[in-house]
Amino acid sequence: MSRTNIIALLIFGAILGYFLSFGPESTRKFKAGVYQLIAPFLTGGSGLQKQITSVRTGLKSLEQLERENAALQVENRTLRATNQGLRDVEHEVNRLRHALNYRERSVFKLIAAEVVTRDSSTWWRTMTIDRGKRDGIETDMPVATDVGLVGKVTTVSDSISVVLLISDENCKVAASIEGSREQGIASGERVIAGLNPFLNLNFLSKQADLKPGQKVYTSGVGGVFPSGLLIGAVKTFRVRELDGQAQLTPAVDLSHLEDVFVVTGRK
Amino acid sequence: MIFFFLLVVLVLIAQIAEFFIPALPWLYNAHVYIVPVIVFYGAMALPFPLMLALALYAGILLDVLTVQVIGGKVEISMGSSILLYAVLAGFMHGLRPLFARGRWEVHCILSGICTSLIVLTQYLMITFRRGSLVFTREIWWQIGGPGLIAMAMAPILFWFLQWMGRVTAYSYLPERGRFE
Repeated sequence: MSRTNIIALLIFGAILGYFLSFGPESTRKFKAGVYQLIAPFLTGGSGLQKQITSVRTGLKSLEQLERENAALQVENRTLRATNQGLRDVEHEVNRLRHALNYRERSVFKLIAAEVVTRDSSTWWRTMTIDRGKRDGIETDMPVATDVGLVGKVTTVSDSISVVLLISDENCKVAASIEGSREQGIASGERVIAGLNPFLNLNFLSKQADLKPGQKVYTSGVGGVFPSGLLIGAVKTFRVRELDGQAQLTPAVDLSHLEDVFVVTGRK
Repeated sequence: MIFFFLLVVLVLIAQIAEFFIPALPWLYNAHVYIVPVIVFYGAMALPFPLMLALALYAGILLDVLTVQVIGGKVEISMGSSILLYAVLAGFMHGLRPLFARGRWEVHCILSGICTSLIVLTQYLMITFRRGSLVFTREIWWQIGGPGLIAMAMAPILFWFLQWMGRVTAYSYLPERGRFE
């Protein structure tokens, strides 16, 4: 091995040792710093992705139009494009109006945020939102929509934050069940088989007679999630050797999130 | 050196692009990983010190963008991906003689295997932390799927990076004569 290679290996070893010595707080800070650096690329990429999706939707409509009436194709294409643009605006207006209404009637103090990116890795369910430290976001703040709980903030940089979704195995939420005194811990599954994830509600009593459709809310135990946020509904219940376990359908469609709220406290 | 910096930029672009590529529902939600294919090409094309630098850079990016700090605990410590990339890239670097002979299949097959190995190692590490080692069909596909996708992408990226090397007048293997 040449002298240059040995020196390179030594430098590499030293840097590797430096990173391996990182504790949770240093990791969080380093992660936040890198996220801050790449934040413009992520937000820019998100905008580009939305435009591409919009164009693709438009092309699908054109195919249908061609089949329906070949003679009016050109005229229809123009009208279609105009309508598509207007529909996008209408959809946006409705979405924002809906969000604004929720924020006004909610009992929580909320900060609205837009989803920038979703899962980028196989084993962690996360998403990135366009709000950070300068908007008052802090680690462990719950994230929700008008429908229910989404997850909690794990990393915060100045203008961007990472949210751990409730479908992740590591996001554990103390939960109570509507019409019952049962309490348990809801968390995601390690691997999602289909398009829609399910949650597991563990540590229920064996006698808990849960019915499909019963709603599950945050209980407020543990201090991270305030009580009263809808988590999902019971799908199935089974008795295990030591406890009962329910499978839940999340209230929020986690794969199609566009806007969320970060819960900063109660009003 | 220009070629090395271009690879560094490409790794960053690929890492950001991975954020916007959704998981493939028809392949049991397998994710698309582009970065390893570029890094393993660099491992075969670059000299040893630059190969280490590229592995370090890609490992830091992977750690930063995937590792989660939850409740004061880190599941996979910072640096583990650097080590993983360095070991795998070091192995690929040892196959430079085959690369020198223009054997693109070596890069293609090993990129696939190494990509799956990265995902498998991550899975084993989180399993060690969380407990209950399970291997269902979905898990095997989520480990093997990214490897298969990487294998499918590898020839295109190989061709593109070879072209980029020619454009930047990068002398791939000064020691080529030794291998031929």
